[in-house]
Amino acid sequence: MKYLFRFIIFITILFYGCSRRFPEKINIARNSFVLLNQDSSNVNFPFDYKGKILVATFIYTNCPDICPMTTYNMQQVQKKLEQKNINNVQFAAISFDPIRDTPSILKDYASIRGMNLNNFSFLTGNKKSIYSLIKNFNFLVLPGDTTQVGTNPVYFFTHADKIYLIDQQGRIRNEYRGSKLDKNKLLSDIKYLED
Amino acid sequence: MILLFSMLTLFSIHSQKVTVRHAWLRPANKGMNSALYFEVRNNSEKPETLFNVTSNIAGMIQLHESYMEKGMMKMRMVPFIVIKPHSTFVFKEGSYHIMLILLKKDLKPGSKEIFFLHFKNENNLKVIAIVGKN
Repeated sequence: MKYLFRFIIFITILFYGCSRRFPEKINIARNSFVLLNQDSSNVNFPFDYKGKILVATFIYTNCPDICPMTTYNMQQVQKKLEQKNINNVQFAAISFDPIRDTPSILKDYASIRGMNLNNFSFLTGNKKSIYSLIKNFNFLVLPGDTTQVGTNPVYFFTHADKIYLIDQQGRIRNEYRGSKLDKNKLLSDIKYLED
Repeated sequence: MILLFSMLTLFSIHSQKVTVRHAWLRPANKGMNSALYFEVRNNSEKPETLFNVTSNIAGMIQLHESYMEKGMMKMRMVPFIVIKPHSTFVFKEGSYHIMLILLKKDLKPGSKEIFFLHFKNENNLKVIAIVGKN
């Protein structure tokens, strides 16, 4: 009886510990959105990622400072996983500026950064789909500074700074600061989900 | 001879009131935006003010600051930067930067671009920045 009691306590602590590390934040798999990747191919987000771990973020390619930091941090994690032979992870950077960020712009953005697109996609889509998806993630984005260069209007966004870890069932399990990513924490969490 | 050259170089570096190092900028495609980062040192006894940066590679160049407020990343233009005497001011990622708007050419990693820093007291300073990987 004493041993059974200890066993129950142990199991309770174990499960409590697991749920504390990875509480299910949001199930984004309840809706799927048809997006376009950098090659103009359709992507059903997030259904097409089912069964894989997904590291996702929201960016816009006209962002001069923060979004490139987030993209680069994800690129670094992608490289680390490749070195560790961990293959069940996909990366997605979804544009919240779909009017300017066409597939070809996204492709150029990836190309000039020498990105490996084997398991990294840049996604765009129609504004309605993108903003419904953003709402599902509770990601905040607002119009920011606007200026005029000659006859060209230039605008920026005020936005959250997040990278999301999504499990194999399409549930957000953790969030990280995108531009100041704790890469070791993300890698450790990915490993935990993989196991 | 080498010693003499080294001494002259050292003298030249220290005689400059404002010096810049570690200048780099983000890769970006023509028509897009980028950012320039560097460390600027004021070696003089008086404060120095950086009020403009110019280059022919962008349609517009502004001194800018990225900052976080209530969980949101925001940007604002700053009219000038004061560098205290015998101090270094760092333009760095996620903070103060020189914003390059509407690039006139692709900025490919490894390539170099020329900028001119305009100060209140000192002469304009020519800076060569290298395009980084990110």
